[in-house]
Amino acid sequence: MTWVIHILNGIAFGMLLFLLAAGLSLIYGLMKILNLTHGSFYLVGGYIGLTVMQRTGSFVLALVVAVAAVALVGAAIERFFLRRFHLDELPQTLLTFGFLFIFADLSLWIWGGNPLMLNMPEIFQHSMPMGYYAYPVYRLFLIAIGLVVAGGLWWFQEHTRIGTMLRAGVDDAEIARALGINVSLLFTLIFAVGAGLAALAGVLAGPVLSLYPGADFEVLIFAFVVVIVGGLGSLRGALAGALLIGILDDFGKAFFPEFALFTVFVPMAVILVIRPTGLFGRR
Amino acid sequence: MTARAWTIIGCFAVLALLFMLPEVLRPYYLALVTKMLIFALFAMSLDLLLGYTGLASLGHAAYFGVAAYTIALLIVRAGVDSGLAFPVALVAAAATGALFAPLALRARGSYFLMITFALAQVVWSVAFGWRSLTNGDDGIPDVVRPDFGWSLDSTTSFYYFVLAIVGLATLLLVAIVGSPFGRALRGIRESESRMQALGYNVWRYQYVAFVLAAAFAGIAGALYAYYNRFVGPEYLYVVQSAEALIMVILGGAGTLIGPAIGAGLIVFLEDFVSSMTAHWVLVLGIIYVLVTLFAPRGLIGLVDQLRQRRVKP
Amino acid sequence: MTTKKMALITIVTASFAAMIVAAPRPAWAADPIKIGILLPLSGNFAENGQQTLTGLKMYFDEVGNKAGDRPLTLIVEDTQGKPDVAVTKARKLVQGDGVAVLTGVVTSGEAIAVNAFSRDNKVPLVLSGDAGADELTMPGPLANPYLVRTSQNGRSVASAAADWAYHKGWRKVATVGSDYAGGVDVNFAFAQAFCKLGGKVIQAEWPPIGTADFGPYLTNLDRTADAVVTFEPGADGLRLARQYSEFGLKGKLPVMDIYGGLVFESNLPQLGDATLGFYSSLFYTPMLKTPENERFVAEFQKRMNQLPANEGPNGYVGAHAVVDAIKAVNGDLSDTMKFIAALKAVKFDSPKGEISLDKYGQVIQTMYIREVQMVNGQPANVPIASYPHVDQFWPYTEAEFESFKYTYKDSKNSLTDCARLLAKK
Repeated sequence: MTWVIHILNGIAFGMLLFLLAAGLSLIYGLMKILNLTHGSFYLVGGYIGLTVMQRTGSFVLALVVAVAAVALVGAAIERFFLRRFHLDELPQTLLTFGFLFIFADLSLWIWGGNPLMLNMPEIFQHSMPMGYYAYPVYRLFLIAIGLVVAGGLWWFQEHTRIGTMLRAGVDDAEIARALGINVSLLFTLIFAVGAGLAALAGVLAGPVLSLYPGADFEVLIFAFVVVIVGGLGSLRGALAGALLIGILDDFGKAFFPEFALFTVFVPMAVILVIRPTGLFGRR
Repeated sequence: MTARAWTIIGCFAVLALLFMLPEVLRPYYLALVTKMLIFALFAMSLDLLLGYTGLASLGHAAYFGVAAYTIALLIVRAGVDSGLAFPVALVAAAATGALFAPLALRARGSYFLMITFALAQVVWSVAFGWRSLTNGDDGIPDVVRPDFGWSLDSTTSFYYFVLAIVGLATLLLVAIVGSPFGRALRGIRESESRMQALGYNVWRYQYVAFVLAAAFAGIAGALYAYYNRFVGPEYLYVVQSAEALIMVILGGAGTLIGPAIGAGLIVFLEDFVSSMTAHWVLVLGIIYVLVTLFAPRGLIGLVDQLRQRRVKP
Repeated sequence: MTTKKMALITIVTASFAAMIVAAPRPAWAADPIKIGILLPLSGNFAENGQQTLTGLKMYFDEVGNKAGDRPLTLIVEDTQGKPDVAVTKARKLVQGDGVAVLTGVVTSGEAIAVNAFSRDNKVPLVLSGDAGADELTMPGPLANPYLVRTSQNGRSVASAAADWAYHKGWRKVATVGSDYAGGVDVNFAFAQAFCKLGGKVIQAEWPPIGTADFGPYLTNLDRTADAVVTFEPGADGLRLARQYSEFGLKGKLPVMDIYGGLVFESNLPQLGDATLGFYSSLFYTPMLKTPENERFVAEFQKRMNQLPANEGPNGYVGAHAVVDAIKAVNGDLSDTMKFIAALKAVKFDSPKGEISLDKYGQVIQTMYIREVQMVNGQPANVPIASYPHVDQFWPYTEAEFESFKYTYKDSKNSLTDCARLLAKK
């Protein structure tokens, strides 16, 4: 039974990582931007969700408002700032690093330094008995929502017009532009979607992981690890990487506690040495 | 006068100024300038990779930290003479670079960035987790400064020591980037395939540049261990690597003076602004954004822009 | 080339010029005494820094920023929670601003680095923040004649928890301890004291600091234990508290929370009844019914809009000690050792209880065992037992403590081995 619980834990954590990594990976795949502000989108999204939840008591409303607000902020950052430095890596890095600082300080200012926890919706507040153990229902909900989002993204990518444009853009932005695709709009849209996914992860993680200064950087590192392992720019890679890292993290801590600090970084280094572009990445 | 003459006069002016600083600065500010010099060297060493070879590393703190820890462990744990520990630390940093380079150089672009990050995090985990050796996050205090029959305990003497070492290292770096080897690196940055076609062993050039960058970062790390008389795992953390990257970009990659200025400016701003307001993080963030908007090629690029604007009409 | 170099030279010259300040002049008796405060006000430890600062300022305000007839000037510097920055700021305060005393300091890493600075530069350092590394105030490599610590240390809180746990009837416990130097320090002290009484740690888990998910640790917990003993500060504590009840352990395995990281005052209202019945040990609780504390809590709530945990009272007590010592030497700090002696001699009643210092400068104070109970419909840490006058070597004498063979540094993997923990040199 403990095995089942460990695997469920790993998948639930992996799903949160997937939401984060999917956005990071999409943005990189299309625009070649290594977005250091991604963790801030997660944290600010979580905090906004928290405030909405405290004011209205509605978890759904918290999700909607947080995702919408952060997606808007993301779109603005892309349109007014990153846009100017298309394919110019160094200024983009400096810029996203600057925003990381700005959001970190603003959220410390607004929400304070104590760790804050979102209340989870009433229906998920109990645990499912499993033999001698119990398993929190909320985590099953996390797994479900992760699967739904993964399915939705896949459908979006494969079966919608924007998805086709996206794939064309990832393959070669110049050709896509030549084909008459409005690449400029696509960039803003995808950046907003990526930011929104990070905010979604923030609100969903709020009741489990809590929100606090520094969480932005911690999850950024985790998201990095996932996309490194999975391969940049690939949705499949983000999902596979997230599940792998989620499960490795859980099993490593449970069965090799001595090496808990290494359970994530060593496999990552090993994978990179064997496959420098990650599991599903292209050169 | 020729441009060359101006350059020489400029260098002498800066040098003379640096020499006279202890006369005019209060000890605290002299110590701050010492820190600027150390980070200037750290940023320049990273620029050898980023600006000259075109390889953006997010793990440069590894070599900085390995050298610092080597100094601390040798002095505090093994009782080795402080001056003797210095060359050993450089070898340790270079060796770490030599070990990591073959792994990192399999990748390019953002993957290179990430693999260097991953490797550095492994080193950090060791420093953080191997408590019986490193004291974990408590760090190792009581790192003694070298004594060459001339104590470096005073702020002024240590400043001159750092000035001499950083000066020498800078001269070496200038020589390296000006040599045929340095020109080959720039060629590789512009086009690997062309250099390959011209018969250059690109991988070997990159490998040597990687190890050299690690060694120079090691000098900075060793000096920083002496400077604070203390080492801790923060020296190896990704934040330190990112800060070095930002120093280079802010100052302007692809020159030596740019990263040095970027480093000095960031060290100064962090200290200065954080004494004014607890919201220095916000101020620094806004500065980064503004610099990107108005000087996307870094401060050096800005100087170039202004000059071109003046020359054109 | 020319303009570029010229511009650079101008930049360099200008920034140096900005740093040149007139040389300091000799101090006059009526001049204010400058007190340097080193606290993290940005970054992950900003809240710890802010609460300590509030405590410090509350006392200084209470005495009108005066010690006797000497006015006091406070200069606050942000250490960012980084040891190297803390040293740089200490240097600025001492060499740049000319402060006479350093105080504050939150992380142990910062404390160890600043401690070396204080010793080398002969500057009094009054640790009034969280920094709890035991070794700082013990004979050994970190010993510093210029240091006193009025705040806390790791061992005392852990030892009180062990004593109470044993007398509660627990004999076998599992520990969940944050895997960093301070975490090992605290858990080692607990295990050693618990072994000495006749109990035993049967399982020791070490989640890394910043553990997002305690699921694997909770699932692995040995269910035959009498209780779980935790030490998880910050966000880790909040997460563990919530996940503990989610995984159905609440009510099955009682919890003794050393230092109260799970039941931290700002956590309680967020956790509802999830921590009801959790025991914890600390040198303070806002629920203490003494006049000093009730006045303190009211004023702290006015300033911070929340209940104080350990940082606020620690800052307040640190400021009190500094002011009393300055008064004792009549405002003359020229003889540093005399000032340090005056610091070590302070004795007063505080929100934490009675405060005095031992010869090494470590605070001797009361340890409280608390239990989370509903008070006026809100969960609160109600004191249920207390250990007055706990010194840093308790429950051993100094000689007995020094006779143990192993220290925490080589004991992370042997908490379950009582014979080794109690081995003598």
